[in-house]
Amino acid sequence: MLLVLAVLGVASIILPALVRLLGRRVFLVAGLISFGAFVHTLLQAPAILDGDPEGYPIERLAWVSQLQLTLDLSMDPLSWVLALVITGIGSLVLIYCSWYFADDEPGLGRFAAVLLAFAGAMYGLVTANDVYLLFVFWEATSVFSYLLIGHYTGRRASRGAALQALITTTLGGLVMLVGLVLLSVQARSSSLDVILSSSPAGALTTAAVFLVLVGALSKSAIVPLHFWLPGAMAAPTPVSAYLHAAAMVKAGIYLIARFAPAFFDMPGWREVLVGLGVVTMLLGGYIALRQTDLKLLLAYGTVSQLGFLTIVSGYGTRDTALAALALLVAHALFKGALFLIVGIIDHETGTRDLRKLSGLGRRSPILATIAALSLASMSGVPPLFGFVAKETVLHGLLVGVESGDPIAVVAVVGVVLGSVFTVAYSLRFFWGAFARKAGVDDVTSLEHVRRGFLLAPTVLAVTSLALGPLAGLADRALAGYPALFEAPEGKPYELALWHGLEPALGLSALTIVLGAALFAARTPVAAAQKRLSTGLSASEAYWDVMSAVDRFSARVTSLTQRGSLSFYLGVILLVFIAVSTAGLVTGSSWRTDVRVWDYPAQLAIAVVMIAAAIAATQVQKRFAALVTVGVTGFGMSALFALQGAPDLAITQILVELVTLIAFVLVLRRLPAKLGDRHGSHHRLLRAVIAISAGVIMVLIALVAAGSRTTDRISLAWPELAFVDGHGSNIVNVALVDIRGWDTMGELAVVIAAATGVASLLFIRGRDDSTSRAQRLTLRRRARARVQQSRLQSIPGERRNAWILAGPTLDPRYRSILLEVVVRLIFHAIIVLSLYVLFTGHNLPGGGFAGGLIAGLALVARYLAGGRHELTAAVPVGAGAVLGTGIAVAAGAAIVPLLFGADALTSTYWEAEVWLLGEVSFVTSTIFDIGVYLVVVGLVLDVLRSLGAEVDRQGDDASDRANARRVESATEGRP
Amino acid sequence: MSISLILVITMGALFAAGVYMLLERSLTRVVLGFLLLGNAVNLLLLIMAGEAGIAPIVEDGIADDAYTDPLPQALILTAIVITFAVSAFLLALIYRSWRLANADDVSDDADDVALREGAVEMPVEETAPDAEDTEFPTDDTRSRA
Amino acid sequence: MTALVPLVVLVPLLGAAVTLALGFRPQAQRVVAIVALVIELGLGIALLVAVDAVGPLAMELGGWSAPFGIVLVVDRLSAVMVLVSAVVLLAVLLFSVGQGIADGDAETPVSIYNPTYLILTTGVMVAFVSGDLFNLYVGFEILLVASYVLITLGGTEARIRAGVTYVIVSLLSSLLFLASIAMVYGALGTVNLAQVAARMQDLPADVQVLLHVMLLVAFGIKAAVFPLSFWLPDSYPSAPAPVTAAFAGLLTKIGVYAIIRVETVIFPGPELNPALMVVALLTMVVGALGAVAQADIKRILSFTLVSHIGYMILGVALGTAAGTAAAIYYIVHHIVIQTTLFLAAGLIEREAGSTSITRIGGLLASAPLVAVLFFVPALNLGGIPPFSGFIGKLGLFQAAAEQGDALAYVLIGAGALVSLLTLYALVRVWNLAFWRPAGEVEGDETRLLRAVEEAPHSTATIAATRATSRLMTVSTVLMVLVGIALTVFAGPLYGLADRAADNLDGPEQYIQIVFPQGVEP
Repeated sequence: MLLVLAVLGVASIILPALVRLLGRRVFLVAGLISFGAFVHTLLQAPAILDGDPEGYPIERLAWVSQLQLTLDLSMDPLSWVLALVITGIGSLVLIYCSWYFADDEPGLGRFAAVLLAFAGAMYGLVTANDVYLLFVFWEATSVFSYLLIGHYTGRRASRGAALQALITTTLGGLVMLVGLVLLSVQARSSSLDVILSSSPAGALTTAAVFLVLVGALSKSAIVPLHFWLPGAMAAPTPVSAYLHAAAMVKAGIYLIARFAPAFFDMPGWREVLVGLGVVTMLLGGYIALRQTDLKLLLAYGTVSQLGFLTIVSGYGTRDTALAALALLVAHALFKGALFLIVGIIDHETGTRDLRKLSGLGRRSPILATIAALSLASMSGVPPLFGFVAKETVLHGLLVGVESGDPIAVVAVVGVVLGSVFTVAYSLRFFWGAFARKAGVDDVTSLEHVRRGFLLAPTVLAVTSLALGPLAGLADRALAGYPALFEAPEGKPYELALWHGLEPALGLSALTIVLGAALFAARTPVAAAQKRLSTGLSASEAYWDVMSAVDRFSARVTSLTQRGSLSFYLGVILLVFIAVSTAGLVTGSSWRTDVRVWDYPAQLAIAVVMIAAAIAATQVQKRFAALVTVGVTGFGMSALFALQGAPDLAITQILVELVTLIAFVLVLRRLPAKLGDRHGSHHRLLRAVIAISAGVIMVLIALVAAGSRTTDRISLAWPELAFVDGHGSNIVNVALVDIRGWDTMGELAVVIAAATGVASLLFIRGRDDSTSRAQRLTLRRRARARVQQSRLQSIPGERRNAWILAGPTLDPRYRSILLEVVVRLIFHAIIVLSLYVLFTGHNLPGGGFAGGLIAGLALVARYLAGGRHELTAAVPVGAGAVLGTGIAVAAGAAIVPLLFGADALTSTYWEAEVWLLGEVSFVTSTIFDIGVYLVVVGLVLDVLRSLGAEVDRQGDDASDRANARRVESATEGRP
Repeated sequence: MSISLILVITMGALFAAGVYMLLERSLTRVVLGFLLLGNAVNLLLLIMAGEAGIAPIVEDGIADDAYTDPLPQALILTAIVITFAVSAFLLALIYRSWRLANADDVSDDADDVALREGAVEMPVEETAPDAEDTEFPTDDTRSRA
Repeated sequence: MTALVPLVVLVPLLGAAVTLALGFRPQAQRVVAIVALVIELGLGIALLVAVDAVGPLAMELGGWSAPFGIVLVVDRLSAVMVLVSAVVLLAVLLFSVGQGIADGDAETPVSIYNPTYLILTTGVMVAFVSGDLFNLYVGFEILLVASYVLITLGGTEARIRAGVTYVIVSLLSSLLFLASIAMVYGALGTVNLAQVAARMQDLPADVQVLLHVMLLVAFGIKAAVFPLSFWLPDSYPSAPAPVTAAFAGLLTKIGVYAIIRVETVIFPGPELNPALMVVALLTMVVGALGAVAQADIKRILSFTLVSHIGYMILGVALGTAAGTAAAIYYIVHHIVIQTTLFLAAGLIEREAGSTSITRIGGLLASAPLVAVLFFVPALNLGGIPPFSGFIGKLGLFQAAAEQGDALAYVLIGAGALVSLLTLYALVRVWNLAFWRPAGEVEGDETRLLRAVEEAPHSTATIAATRATSRLMTVSTVLMVLVGIALTVFAGPLYGLADRAADNLDGPEQYIQIVFPQGVEP
């Protein structure tokens, strides 16, 4: 069986390639492959028919054992019969296709591939012995059917129908999956055998089984999920014949049949299935009666017949089981044939509308004969197989009636009425397709239908005919499945053409007579139907539901997606406040350990900081806000200093300075007043959120700190730092050694941020030029401007060229004093920064502080000399500085690995050096150098971007403005 | 562990002020709010260092617990630098959005607004079961002719 | 062998350094970046094999014994995440290199994109291998700041707006995370994850709850769980296609990863599981509805992204090993598939000049390969068997059914429904963008133009269709194949997820990794 699946799968992958060579003949290949599968299945007959479950073929392959998902295939009588139907009719339909389509049909290869793949999926579905594997094939058929229905992609109807079919069947499928999960979890196994044989009971099981049934009913187009099937007629007719008559729609029936032996006596099983079956059978027949499109007539007929099959397969006795299987085969035969005939008619005459068709019977007697046979079988006329099947059904149900089962009565009545409709629309079909009609001119085409085209329907019709007399043979083939039910006493009922004069026969005759009458009275009936026709149809209901879903989604989404940042932040904060409050309120064992202050100065600083913070929220001027925020920053560093954290104090001050400068560089371009057009919205709400957030933080802080009972790990740090880290500044050792990994990560952050600044200012690259050449020319230009300005400046002023680019500045903005100062202190600052860097290991300071100090030196250069000064002062790109820095740091981490040590391990050297005396060196200092470089790089990038580039863009803007002014002025003159 | 009430309250105040500004629509205010929040959280870390002690520069004869807890200091230093780097980026962001929109406020997302105002029309793929009565319209015309 | 652990961080970091230094040699930069990530992939494979064979690895950095220094820990979960991230990051890099070659770097300027992308990688890896709470924060910061740069790449108005939303929300979550670290240190006097886990047990239950919810909120924002998720669909779609792909695949999952760690190592107790289940439910459903409401493929995908985070949270919230295993498998599946779909969306954007299904059509005819590259992962995400999406959901459903709470059954139902909604949203894309002939679209062009003028779509739609470089297609094909591999080799993969989940069954094993001799109180 795996072999069959593999062959079909691989073949369907190859087919599209073959189309180029073979054109539409590719279908013959596909047909032969499917026929091979048919033969292979037929050869299983001996194993299946001797009825010993041990002998049934089984194949297993593990897939996801943790989920009990196994490729577990087995072939029992039920699977076998369906496999025969699927592969047999499959091969006939595929062969038929090679006459149906033209070579230039768009998407031919795709179509052939999917059709064959569908056959494979269907085969897998009926042979799967693992509920999850069954579901896999189940959904696969849904998807393939979607692709096939949508074959005519140019037609909106096809696409819509495809979507409709997919959504409906997948909905059912997912419900079914839930049911299967529940069943398998209860049975502790996903094997179909195990689940059914253990036949679990209980509310949960009942629920699970009904969930599974939802899937079955949706697949087999049972009311109220039947509407997708008529829509699916938008598919090419061979697809309708195969998927929507013979094979796929039988999947649901198969599942019912599969579950019936274990669950037929479950509360509600019989009621639901028979009830829905009857409704479906009658509704389908009734609607079929008023169709003018032959294909739709058959479609509703199929709906009706599926209802019929649901009744019979759901009733669940030995005899009805036999009947169900017989009926299933019969239906596959005659309905397949009829669809193919419609296809031929449509193909030859260009219409399926029975109001346009006339005189077809004379033109093609063969076609008419085949149709007649199939229709007769459908209406249960002896000696065709349909008759045999229907006899068995009626017998089986009547047995139930005798035993006084009310459901059986409902079933019989339903079946008889339904069959009356069946007979009527069968006659309507024959009349509509082949009769001569007054006022309609005869069909001119259809001289001779090609034999190959007729092959498939002929074979099917002939089989319908042959199986009647050969009912005994059929009985042998089908008897295996009914054996799963307990046999009634006495000789078991067998499929046969003649059972003597018995009630069933009478009912059959009755239905035929009434059906004929109903057809004869078609004109009044049609009128009556028009009057009765209520506007509502399930298909429209589907669309209402879908558009409701769309509208609901839009509603919900527009509720949550307000698109406003402050809304999102507000929600987040509210959630935080809510959950923390919940935690605080429900809690009980709060221990808090508070002292008012460490030293009075705290109070003073605190007051200043709080005041500044509050002021910051209120001030309207940009710089005022900036300054107030800055005050809190300096307050922080004061606290750090007094709290015994000198490194923090230093770093904070330097960072605060650089941040302020950077802010000023940017804000100078923005209007002084803070734009708060919307700012004033929800002031109160924001205040509430803000204050409660603050309070929550305070409370949690108190609780958290109060609950400390263990010693902090950092108690060990002083010794670790001094002895192993060879530094007395614990914080610095921590940064470059004990927790150096954090520092390295933080360097990565700095680099990313610096790159981001560059990216947002020079959109196209890391620098205001994207090619090395451009960059060089740029620097040359900068130098040139310096030189030239030097030459221009008259000898007296030459002295004033204290810094490189000074003279390039507009005299108005030039401050000689500043230039002098910068000139004097620049190198001093750089040296200082290096000193801070290298002594950091033992004194407050280190890489950050050093880097920031050096950065400030650059800031001074820039402020004094403008952007050309910067370009001229720093010959290398900021990227290079950053890159080198991070490379050094990462190197310090990697090198130890080479010596088999852990990453970042530092080593310590002491040596007598001539003249210098005792020199000591810790490798972690190298790491700190990396830090230094990265920080410098960041400041450099900030200056290049927020400083120099902003200047340039500003200048350009003002230049443009001037130019415009001049133009307008010149235009102004007469 | 005993902590200073003054500092905790200050932290709370900074946090509240930061949140308040974060909920503004002026991008500059938002960024300043972020700076306040950064300070608040750093202060929180400092608070968790417990009582003020001696600067953590190792000297002989000082008990290990006499130093101010150095671990939060290390964390704060890292946090400070990260905040610094991020705020540099935010500045560039402010400048860029100013250059583009000449406005300093955070505007709403266009697609969301469109959806809310029902400007998004989804094409419907409806089915009409008996729209076509043939798959061969070309043949159809031929046979009519 | 432990040397592998720091290397997964250091290799991309060095790569970033070199690409930065190579500032003005785009070609060299590309090569370096690709080489770095190829090595990374190798490291990832080696690490996973090693960890699965000999058990978890730990390294005490700088030789500072835990808990005093920083310790790196790689158990099966970390190893899996490292590997799948390496795969995705490499594929996306190839895609963007291809795009850069095709457009002359308009979308992704090499000198910015490559270093930043490698730093993003660094951050992701730091987060996955870190055994230290504060270092985890640093890892988050690295990848976040890098992501800020990438999402605002090119600095168009749409991207700046999206970027602002993304950046500010992320900043808030980072601050909350840092604050919770301060709280944790205040309560426990340590930031070493294993020691935190050990000491947490002795903390009063109500204090635990406070710290727990703080961390969950912080990570919930990153993982984009309802109602902390609204920012995501507004920020992701407008970034360059490859950037969105990488973000959608990875970043939120790192939040989920953090949540898994929190729930399994620090707070193994079941107190908040019901709450998490409700969150999972809402995340799934609201996200899926959002996907149905969208008309732009990238936005649809962003909403499915949020929605499917709910599945992972469900797995975690079940609080059983089976649930965790299902969540882990689902994470792997979703990282791969979501990335693939966004790459496919990138190809669509180039073929059709837009990703709005109201404006494009006829792609099946004009770009059959793209059609396949979209259809297969779309079915996968929609939970259609036999693909990994179905296997993941099956695992979650089984775990939920075994756990057996009433709430669990509700979530099974919701999961099925969401799967259907996802399928509906994606298949409708197929109907309109691929099946519907382009001619039909022109038909209502005028109405569309009006709609567009009224509501300009934030996703910058390219007017003229540009060439698609082969490399872009190839990388997408590779990702599709990876997705299929997740299905074919689901057995061993799920086995791995199972073993990873067993390691996470209670904090003891994790503590054991870091403190083989047991941790001092």
